[in-house]
Amino acid sequence: MNENPNYKEAFEELQEIVSEIEQGEISVDELSQKVKRASRLINICKSKLTTTEEDVNKILRELDTVTDDNDEE
Amino acid sequence: MSEEINGKKIFSLLEVTKSIQKTIADRYKSSYWIKAEMNKLNYYRHSGHCYPELVEKVNGKVVAQLRCNLWKDDYIKINNTFQRILKEPLKDGIKILFLATINFHPEYGLSLRIIDIDPSFTLGDLEKEKQETIKKLKDEGIYNRNKELKLPILPQRIAIISVETSKGYADFLKVFESAKISWRYHFFYFLFPSLLQGDNAVPSLIKQLRRIKKVKQHFDVVAIIRGGGGDVGLSCYNSYSLAKEIALFPIPVLSGIGHSTNETVAEMISFENAITPTKLAELLIQKFHNFSVPVQKAEEKIIDKSKRLIKEEKTKFASEVKLLRSVTQGIIIQNKNEVNQQAQALFQQSRFRIRKEKDNLTFAGEQIRKGTYQFCTSEKQSIMQFAVNIKKDIASYLKQLKLILSGTEQNLINLSPRSVLKRGYSITQLNGKSIRTIDQLKEGEILNTILYEGIVLSSVKSTKKSLDNE
Repeated sequence: MNENPNYKEAFEELQEIVSEIEQGEISVDELSQKVKRASRLINICKSKLTTTEEDVNKILRELDTVTDDNDEE
Repeated sequence: MSEEINGKKIFSLLEVTKSIQKTIADRYKSSYWIKAEMNKLNYYRHSGHCYPELVEKVNGKVVAQLRCNLWKDDYIKINNTFQRILKEPLKDGIKILFLATINFHPEYGLSLRIIDIDPSFTLGDLEKEKQETIKKLKDEGIYNRNKELKLPILPQRIAIISVETSKGYADFLKVFESAKISWRYHFFYFLFPSLLQGDNAVPSLIKQLRRIKKVKQHFDVVAIIRGGGGDVGLSCYNSYSLAKEIALFPIPVLSGIGHSTNETVAEMISFENAITPTKLAELLIQKFHNFSVPVQKAEEKIIDKSKRLIKEEKTKFASEVKLLRSVTQGIIIQNKNEVNQQAQALFQQSRFRIRKEKDNLTFAGEQIRKGTYQFCTSEKQSIMQFAVNIKKDIASYLKQLKLILSGTEQNLINLSPRSVLKRGYSITQLNGKSIRTIDQLKEGEILNTILYEGIVLSSVKSTKKSLDNE
């Protein structure tokens, strides 16, 4: 199981769990495990919506270092 | 007016220029429609006049050029018409069809004075340029290139090309702010400032696009945002070089240029044209919704379905328990009944058997008693009979014995030595003992011979052995 899925993977896995549950393919034994996983995926998805990890300073630094070869393209 | 010096007829410069002025004024009395390329408008903000640089080119080479004046009032009138019809102001680098008078001024020389410009001619030319841009992009097979890219599920990191002070930019950020408040959606954005209209916008936009390209890994999407600037000066978005840059851009470019004129080429070939900055921001938020709503729904579904599943299992379980209980109870009751029946049957059977045995015993007892009595009676009789018989038998037996005894007595009498001696037999004794053989006899020994009447003494002369049984 991918512990650090990106949002696409997290979302797809979540959808999969939903459809499994919807189609009654999950037994009560597995249910708690699946729901635990789903809630983790939901949290991942939600946190993707509400946070970003981009660093403005880093972008600025990169812009500075590569500006010179801008015109070569 | 000319003067003669050394036989030469001499004119002053003014006389010449005035003469030319007159000649030209006589020759070009009316105004003329002329077409040319306006290289530069040369608008002077201070005076409000323009001094357009008009040229005619053949294969890119200037073959004709003339100075030109566009006075303030004419400029304002023409420029308004242009903005109304072309959605473009008068600007450098357009082809124009203009009405002009040809003037010669003694001081400033030959020039055209523009009275009017036909906007439809320029419009056609601009449209032609736009169509050419589209055709070129299509011919190169890059017209759909940006559209074919894939927008990430969550276009969260946005490189914004706009101007800090633009109303469109403010509108755009306002939508983001409200999304943050309403749904806690978080966008990352970074402004790449650029001119957004007029001819200088083209290099400026291209420059910023190239800067973004350098740091493209930090961004999901580029948003070109402009707004509040009216509908003029947008033909720059039909520029081939800008359109190509957008078409080939490695990440999706969204446009929100905010105008009501025909769609520009840049908008046509961008990944998606949201038309206005607000709509562009809403489009991005919609993508968030598209992601968030199913997540929300998934969450609800999982909770709902899980609850239902557990409930169903509980119900199933309860009914199983109920069933089990009722079945076991049934079995117990059935067994109980069977046991009861068996017990009852056993009881009855036992009672019956006991009674029967009792009867048997009673009967047997009676039989025994009867039998015993009979037996005793018969035994008594036979004993009595036996006693009688014994008495009889003993009497006859005794009689018989008496007979035998008397016979025996006779025999015994017959056998006594006296009887024998009487019959002539004698007994010879030696030293008081009877002898039967000659073996012990020695000559001279004295023998006693007992006879029936009397005893004889004799001595042994000789012995002779008799033959056997002779």
